[in-house]
Amino acid sequence: MSLKRNFFAGVDVGSLAAKAVILEDGKVFATGLVPSGFDSVESGLNALNLALETAGLKKEDLTYIVGTGYGRVSAPYANKAVTEITCHAKGANFLHPTVRTIIDMGGQDCKAIRIDEDGAVVDFAMNDKCAAGTGRFLEVMAGVFKVKLEDLGALSLSATELVPMSSTCTVFAESETISLVARGEKPANILNGIHHAIANRISGLFARVGITSDVFFSGGVAKNNGMKTAIEEALKVTIVKPEIDPQLIGALGAAVLARNFSKKEGLWS
Amino acid sequence: MPIKTLEVIRKRLEDRPAELNKLRENGQKVVGWTGYNVPEEIIHALGFIPIRIAIGGDDRLVEVGGRYASSKNCVFIREIVGAFSENEDPYIQQTDILAFDATCLQNFRAAEVIEYYFKKDVIVLGVPRNFYWEEGKEYFGKEADEFTRLLEERAGVSLDLTKLGESVALYNDIRKTLKSIYSFQAAKDNVISWVEVFDLIQAGDLLDKKEYLALLHQTLAELQALQHNPVIEVDGNDARIFISGSLIPRGDRKLINIITSVGGRIVGDDIWTGILPHLDLDIKEISPAGVALAYLNRTPHAALPYLDLESDRRLKKLHELLAEFKAQGVIYHTLRYCDPFTFKAKETKDVLAKSAIPVLEIHTEYAGSDYEALRTRLEAFVEMIKIKAESAAEVTV
Repeated sequence: MSLKRNFFAGVDVGSLAAKAVILEDGKVFATGLVPSGFDSVESGLNALNLALETAGLKKEDLTYIVGTGYGRVSAPYANKAVTEITCHAKGANFLHPTVRTIIDMGGQDCKAIRIDEDGAVVDFAMNDKCAAGTGRFLEVMAGVFKVKLEDLGALSLSATELVPMSSTCTVFAESETISLVARGEKPANILNGIHHAIANRISGLFARVGITSDVFFSGGVAKNNGMKTAIEEALKVTIVKPEIDPQLIGALGAAVLARNFSKKEGLWS
Repeated sequence: MPIKTLEVIRKRLEDRPAELNKLRENGQKVVGWTGYNVPEEIIHALGFIPIRIAIGGDDRLVEVGGRYASSKNCVFIREIVGAFSENEDPYIQQTDILAFDATCLQNFRAAEVIEYYFKKDVIVLGVPRNFYWEEGKEYFGKEADEFTRLLEERAGVSLDLTKLGESVALYNDIRKTLKSIYSFQAAKDNVISWVEVFDLIQAGDLLDKKEYLALLHQTLAELQALQHNPVIEVDGNDARIFISGSLIPRGDRKLINIITSVGGRIVGDDIWTGILPHLDLDIKEISPAGVALAYLNRTPHAALPYLDLESDRRLKKLHELLAEFKAQGVIYHTLRYCDPFTFKAKETKDVLAKSAIPVLEIHTEYAGSDYEALRTRLEAFVEMIKIKAESAAEVTV
């Protein structure tokens, strides 16, 4: 019987953040999350090194690394690259085996993913060349209201009314928002309208792939409670409460796959 | 092992524009055609040189075309219009007469725009919206007669039915040989890829038809020598992809390149610039109306409506081809503002879901800005198919 401990890492380099998860014996051992820079290799390594430092490990201690996210195409530190769609499916299934539908809202795209009981992707759809429903869109809106990105959700939940927002195009939504502010509408009510407009737009993705309970919300935007509430209302679902930071789900799925691949390749038994 | 004839064909294509130029100097006329139901045999039998106008993949020409057509016209149509505006494409430069059909109304619009702005001699063949009704068939027969009359005027001769019969026989042989070659690409241990066969099909849009047939026979003979009995079956390592949806013309290789770069193996298609127009064309009567009716009786273009989803001939053919080429997933590709296919995406996906065939909808255009987003989708779809196949194999074991 091998006494050697096996550690598996997943590194998810997104457009706004790079994330790493280290897994041991089916448990999350350490995580790392850093802002993405221009160099995706460096961003991935920064996230991985942060996770390694937290764990008190060296890179050599890792049995296998899977890279994912847009940075997967240039991840020389990884043994294998897998798309974030497959990784989010695996990650959500690992945490919550009853999940069958995932809404993933990241920095530059938004995905609707349906999965089976093994965490395999059954169907998926992505937003089409548009920033609506992405972290980047919300960053722009935070800039308009001069509030921190992480405060947007709470502000929208404090709304007393919903101001309808007709645009989900980042550029037009920005000018529409400025007009609404000039008209005297309260920021919280406008933000409520923005969150609901995005949620309604995302509903279109689910018309393509369908929704089956349980529903999971992953990606950086999943930390925004205002968006979570708006999506629950638009899709008429209850979103599962995540056990870890939902921004780490892609990296977690990559780590789960690292464990599976390395076992298949006979690196441990 | 490379197929030597394919290299010969590539060389012949390089020489073809200059060759067409010489033929025109000697008095021959080139008819540039585009559309799903243009009866090319009639053009050929009248002594014209038929050249298919189907180019794509150049976002700059789309932008130019948008100045004349609408920015809401599909990118293919805008590129065609843009190409006529610039007049730099070596084949467009060689066209004397244009023959468009109205199967897709955007195609019809392109004909109007090209005639109006660039003063080209354009003939348009009307196409019925309902092709099941006798009235629809009768209308198309009359349209084919009128189409022939307009071409006769320009040729200065009347259509000789013996020559039409010879053209039909030539085209039938081309279609039959293409179908035989096509099955080789989908086979186990294939020596020719789908991409090579796709290029081969499109070479036929431009080359002299008799020479093309001879080159096809030569290609088939080479294939038969290398692979006696092509067996189409699922190999454990493949993700067998079928491409459906909007046309992919010459010059547009973005989607195809990404699919192959992420490990997908294309094994079949039912697109307008692929094998589909060459299938099931059964000409029973040698006359313009007889040829036209055979075109109408093929698998219909998506621009024509679903009259009954359950019995739709296009969906039935799609199922047949998926089974024949043992495809494991369908990439349903729609070009920006290509309404016929975009509107039918959801129904097609739902119908195929009943047969447990996964479908990925891809919406694209000729700009390179969606390259990475497309790659993520296509790579995830290939992963999905491979994981599904692996799970099925484990259950079987």
